[in-house]
Amino acid sequence: MSPPDLAPTEPILAARGITKRFPGVLALDHVDLEIQAGEIHAVLGQNGAGKTTLMNILFGLLQPDEGALYLREQRIRFRSPHDALARGIGMVHQTRRLVSAHTVLENIVLGHPRTRGFLNLRGARLEVEALCNRYGFTVPLGARVWQLSEGERQWVEILKALYRGARILILDEPTAALTPPEVKTLLAGLQTLVRDHGVTVLLVTHKLPIVMAVSHRVTVLRSGRVVARLRTADAAEEVLVQHMIGRDIAFRTTNRSAEMGRPLLQVEQLSAFNDKGLLALRGVSFSLREGEVLGVAGVTGNGQEELAQVLAGLRPAASGRVRLDGRDVTRLSPLQRWRMGVGYVPAERIEVASIAAFSLVENTALNYHFDPAFIRRGLLDNAALEQLTRRIVTTYNVKAPSQYARARHLSGGNLQKLILGRVLSRNPRLLIAHLPTQGLDVEAAAFVRATLVEATAEGAAVLLISEDLDEILTLSDWVAPIYEGRFGAIIPRTEADAETVGAMMAGLGMKEAGVR
Amino acid sequence: MRLGRYELTLEPRPAPPAIFTALTAVVAILLALALSSFLFLSSHTRLIDAYRAVFSYAFFNPHGVLATVHRSIYLLFCTYAFLVPFRAGLWNIGLPGQVYAGGLAAFAVPFVLRAHDPQTLPLPPGLLIVLMIAAAAAAGAATGGFAGVLRAKLQVNEILVTMMLNSILFWLVAYMIKEGGPFMSATGEGESFGLPSSLHAPLLLGVPVTAALALGVAVLLDLLFAKTALGYRIRAFGENPAAARYGGIIPVALSLLVFLLGGAFAALAGYHYFAAVPGVYKIPGNYGYYGDLGFYGIIAALIARGSSLGAVPIVVLFAGLSVGARFAQGELRLPFGVDYALLGLLMMTFVASHVLYHFRFAWRRIPSEALQSVPTELPEG
Ligand SMILES: Nc1ncnc2c1ncn2[C@@H]1O[C@H](COP(=O)(O)OP(=O)(O)OP(=O)(O)O)[C@@H](O)[C@H]1O
Ligand SMILES: [Mg+2]
Repeated sequence: MSPPDLAPTEPILAARGITKRFPGVLALDHVDLEIQAGEIHAVLGQNGAGKTTLMNILFGLLQPDEGALYLREQRIRFRSPHDALARGIGMVHQTRRLVSAHTVLENIVLGHPRTRGFLNLRGARLEVEALCNRYGFTVPLGARVWQLSEGERQWVEILKALYRGARILILDEPTAALTPPEVKTLLAGLQTLVRDHGVTVLLVTHKLPIVMAVSHRVTVLRSGRVVARLRTADAAEEVLVQHMIGRDIAFRTTNRSAEMGRPLLQVEQLSAFNDKGLLALRGVSFSLREGEVLGVAGVTGNGQEELAQVLAGLRPAASGRVRLDGRDVTRLSPLQRWRMGVGYVPAERIEVASIAAFSLVENTALNYHFDPAFIRRGLLDNAALEQLTRRIVTTYNVKAPSQYARARHLSGGNLQKLILGRVLSRNPRLLIAHLPTQGLDVEAAAFVRATLVEATAEGAAVLLISEDLDEILTLSDWVAPIYEGRFGAIIPRTEADAETVGAMMAGLGMKEAGVR
Repeated sequence: MRLGRYELTLEPRPAPPAIFTALTAVVAILLALALSSFLFLSSHTRLIDAYRAVFSYAFFNPHGVLATVHRSIYLLFCTYAFLVPFRAGLWNIGLPGQVYAGGLAAFAVPFVLRAHDPQTLPLPPGLLIVLMIAAAAAAGAATGGFAGVLRAKLQVNEILVTMMLNSILFWLVAYMIKEGGPFMSATGEGESFGLPSSLHAPLLLGVPVTAALALGVAVLLDLLFAKTALGYRIRAFGENPAAARYGGIIPVALSLLVFLLGGAFAALAGYHYFAAVPGVYKIPGNYGYYGDLGFYGIIAALIARGSSLGAVPIVVLFAGLSVGARFAQGELRLPFGVDYALLGLLMMTFVASHVLYHFRFAWRRIPSEALQSVPTELPEG
């Protein structure tokens, strides 16, 4: 099956000939995957390639239509994740599944087969503490999950899997929501788990640098098929990209004419509290003209989310003012702002920007149900919504079985394209795009960036909030590094370089550069 | 479960076909009826006669049919009262209180306007009836809206407050007809003054107009949720409040709105029960009665998966079987409480069918290799 040099020992876990169909989609087509004990095995692929589906099968969440799983060459069948856990396979899902009002300990212990019935928290605490000591984790067991950073939450998920006895860890896009330093810590931690504790890791991602940095071997999926199986040491990044995409990609150049329009947005000394009641945004001022892009560069958790929400009307300003077209909009509702042409693409696609149980058409309606053009005598104009959805799906290349498929059945990247398409279809004059390319594969991200540029060409102003410095530097006219709720400076693109901006993102050299 | 070389598992059903919905309901009903034969065992009549007694009274005997219709109307309004907030993801636990509020307000209109005496009605009876219905709906909406505001705006425990409101309103209902209570009848305690017959709900085809109202609302509610912008907003809020807020919906306004609507529907149930037909309100010995029955409205809404039209046959069945079983209980000397036991059985089989609706049993042949045992724990390293 696989070339002998890639299978020096018998695989600890293997999937052979796995096929999985969903209505209208062949998600996996005779996929073979072999994992060696004690390795970090990366599974690489674009949005919708079938990575999550394959992992769900390995974890017993889905049943394959064809093919079988083998544990140490013994054929096995998982009817549920329970069976998989009993065989030492644990999974950390692409979307977080912790209960945020519960403590870390409760989250780890709850749902464990042994704690069914009544709960012995004290005993469990000792066990979990022992586990932490053994693996060298520092997780605050008593803290409530909502108080933790994304990075810490990721560790809780991993600890939870280990507590359930996992020796093979499946991690589906574990770095998607993490800040660069958190990613580093996570990867180092995974390497320790593998090296010192004999854990086997199956790492799903579409980020090449991560594959190159930590994995031993890599399997590349494209459109539900395995297109390459390589040792990471033998693989060049370009080769992997080619496998992943199936051809060379030509990145669209994003050079834009710097012709600016009328002033559109003025923000003065804007402050806001976060959910924990702390002042997270501390006096931010800037102005933006039509056709301009302001790139807010920062590590997540420095007030970006609050800034975006205050501008969208979803969070009250603690002080300061927002003016759109010279009109004070600080106290306007989200709806009033939508009507004035403020479009918002939140970072939380599943939690905020879409409704999982609704169809694509109903999700389109989320930004249109107040639009008189889509309401006829109180009734929603379904034909018009359907037509609009069809247009978004084609324009933005959203892969979906049908318009009436539920949003929960879209892969992460396709959902993002749908949301972005929906917001842009309203031709916003001000677009707030928070992590618009997070979780997107190379090609989709390039497409989204090009779309943003196109929107500015039509006169929209864009507030781009991102952690990706390259993205910020290629797209923005102005770069504003944000740190602890303040802009370090607002630097014209021509003068911005990665070093200065990067230093300011880390809180260095604030105040020195000239503030516009 | 493993049986020899085969294995029986419960798997999620991808997309249940439409006729499946009806089919599971029918199976659930038949199963409940079959199980209920145990309830009839103690009587000395033949089983078939017991069933016949239940059904013929509930659905064919003129008195029985009327009782079934009345109970169905009451239950349907209770169903809507629960269903509307439920589609917005909110639970209307104030339902009993809203029912009482409706009954009280309906009686308050003739009381305040001194319309006890048919000879001296201050206003035309038609207008008075409309006023009674409107007052009931308004009182229920206010009671419901109170819970809605608590829920949306203040961080108080709305469950506790609503429960307290329920019992306060219940005791108010009881107090009004106790000795000295303002609504007390001339003859004595335990009954209200009688409404003049011109103030009873007018009949349409032999049943009170409230029946037409209940059926009309069933159609309107389904249309509301399927087609209108408002219905979309309610559903969106129910599925994902954060997304709804992002989409411009104002949570406080929406919660208030659904509780106003729910409260108004519950109050219509109260109007129907207390004022529409008997024209006298009494509290039966069993004080929890109205609340209990209203509970089946909740069940019907859940079984019908939030569809008001879908709830109609379920409610009629609940109403008919409880009416018929109560009759058979007296007729055939069945044990006390047969009617509620029958409702309980029906509820259980419906809930079970609900599970089967979303999951299916799958038979699989186990591949022979898989039958060998596999080490359950991986050795370290
Ligand atoms: N439950 C489902 N019903 C229908 N289609 C589905 C379902 N789950 C996944 N799909 C489809 O199967 C394909 C593979 O999806 P999958 O989630 O495995 O992709 P992925 O590689 O994890 O993508 P991403 O990087 O965006 O997370 C997609 O086209 C998706 O729309
Ligand atoms: Mg995925």
